[in-house]
Amino acid sequence: MENLLNHAPCGFLTLSEDGTILAINQTLLTVLEYDTDVLIGKNINHILTVPARIFYQLYFIPLIKADKPVEEMYISLQTANGEDIPVLINAIQRKNSLVIDCVLVQMHKRNEYENELLIAKKKAETALSEKRQANKELEVALHKLEMKQKELIELNKENQKFKLETQMELHLAKNIQETSLTKPIFTEGLQIEAFYQASSELSGDMYGFYHINPNQYGIIILDVMGHGISSALITMSLQSLFQRLILNGFRADIIFKELDNHLYRLFQENDETWHYCTAIYLFIDTDQRTIEYINAGHPPGLWQNSTGEQLELTSTSPPIGSFPGLTFKRRSLTYNKGGRILLYTDGVVDPYDSHLLTSLLENNQGITLTELKQKLVQLMKDEENGYHNNDDQCFILIDLKGVEEQNFCVK
Amino acid sequence: MDKSILLRNNVNVKGKGTTSLIFAPGLGCDQNVWNAVAKTFEEDFKVVLFDYVGSGNSNISAYDEERYSSLKGYSQDVLDICASLNIRDAIFVGHSVGSTIGMLASMEHPEYFSNLIMVGPSPCYMNVPPNYFGGFEREEILGLIDLMEKNYIGWANVFASTAMGNEERPELSKELEDRFCSTDPIIALQFAKATFFADTRGDLHKVTVPSLILQCAEDIIAPSAVGEYLHQHLPSSTYKQMKATGHCPHMSYPNETAQLIREYLNESIEDTVQIGDLR
Repeated sequence: MENLLNHAPCGFLTLSEDGTILAINQTLLTVLEYDTDVLIGKNINHILTVPARIFYQLYFIPLIKADKPVEEMYISLQTANGEDIPVLINAIQRKNSLVIDCVLVQMHKRNEYENELLIAKKKAETALSEKRQANKELEVALHKLEMKQKELIELNKENQKFKLETQMELHLAKNIQETSLTKPIFTEGLQIEAFYQASSELSGDMYGFYHINPNQYGIIILDVMGHGISSALITMSLQSLFQRLILNGFRADIIFKELDNHLYRLFQENDETWHYCTAIYLFIDTDQRTIEYINAGHPPGLWQNSTGEQLELTSTSPPIGSFPGLTFKRRSLTYNKGGRILLYTDGVVDPYDSHLLTSLLENNQGITLTELKQKLVQLMKDEENGYHNNDDQCFILIDLKGVEEQNFCVK
Repeated sequence: MDKSILLRNNVNVKGKGTTSLIFAPGLGCDQNVWNAVAKTFEEDFKVVLFDYVGSGNSNISAYDEERYSSLKGYSQDVLDICASLNIRDAIFVGHSVGSTIGMLASMEHPEYFSNLIMVGPSPCYMNVPPNYFGGFEREEILGLIDLMEKNYIGWANVFASTAMGNEERPELSKELEDRFCSTDPIIALQFAKATFFADTRGDLHKVTVPSLILQCAEDIIAPSAVGEYLHQHLPSSTYKQMKATGHCPHMSYPNETAQLIREYLNESIEDTVQIGDLR
């Protein structure tokens, strides 16, 4: 029997109560590559790896001391040559003598299998924790998104409120701007009608016509570059200036020089806000039957006499505020019989379609000024379908009444 | 008395005395490791035994991975128990890392403790070259963790079912009794990591409660050099070399362990009397 145990297909070990090796079988010695007499009397630590020594203290001893069997405990042995041998150990303390009997089975193959299992388990755990982490992050992201959405909704509300307020302000400003427009004139000497429409709430266009003396009229139309609020502000500052100058009866060239100086003063400190302005001014004397005019870079005004002959009041100088040191020259023409004048800004028709205006005037000589205005408005509406008009629109129509003979010429 | 804490930590109070004697287990097994020693004190002391959350018969569902990832979480268990039992000036007896846990608790609430008795303590199990030799290299600790992982294979199922709230099922009661040295795989590994990677050397000078270091012979987990280091750096510490060998004198040599604890307590009581006489 003793011999059977010595060569049994498992390791056998007897330990004293404090872990001293009392007996060891040949099978285990062979595995550990030791001779019997070397190990007898040594502590079991001698054949354990360092981790196994700790594990032995933490689990093996308490179990034995609590009189419980050690079952299938996995530990690693260390051979004489420092090689690790994974084993399963079963142990029990004998009731009478307190020595501990241990059976050890090598588990190389099972160990590898368990290693694989552990690797797979760790992978699964990592995947699970990654998934949890990803879920957490998603939740955080979702929460953030919801907060952002709330913020956006709040902002949107504020925006909406701001937009409403701005619209009201703009509407008020539009009213103010339109209030500053002069009313139609209908006298013995002439009749004036006008049309005014901003592309947005506020316009960069402006006109004015003034009865200076019983027989003298000043008529101006201007277009500040661009449109919207900035252009409208400049327009309004020019309007207050030209109204004063015209009503005081200043000569056309002086009026233009003053407007030019005004723009120059406005923007001399700040190039970024620089704006220029095109304008036509007519000074009409219905007694003398003279028209004096200056066109500063503006689309030509149209004169049509009573027989339908037309003349363009073309540009006489660059736009106001465009170059330093501009001079403005007047031109004048006389008329005996009556005629019609059309002044307009470039938003009225596509610049390439100006022939539409000449033919409109030509084909409608017999109708009243009010009817002509309606036809022109209709033309603009028709044109808008093809020509995407995003500009301010403004025009003035003037009917001049004359004596029998029609006669006009440019001096 | 907060009953929920007492249930959570499976707190058992026995004995006829008034002074509390708290026994804290180390890593691995539950409060039963103290049975032999604790019994001898029941005549004169109020003996308090408990399990950390996650081990023994504690309430595993109270386990919090973050809290118990460092020794602070375990020391908070001790503080919670002291608060629930309204304990003042208790004698705290801790085995191995249990003594470090008690030391950390005493730094938070010194008024809870009159003495710390540290059985096989170590402030740091790892070697920190060039001046400190705790006994182990990092790879050796990782090897231990590997061993622990493989020894859980047979146990995992038991704890999976208890953790799922089947505690009231009678057929599981036997397994509950068998929890002595086994814990949920994740929990035990975390405790092992918190234990073996801890370094409390920097805290030692802050400890105010007087202590006894019981140093075993041939202890591979807490060698004599480590016990001596602790004694040098721990204020008001007493160092006692035991005849007991190994790391578990409270189980292997309960008589000597109990005897030395009793001697130290008698001496420290005499000390107190002497100081009282001087006034």
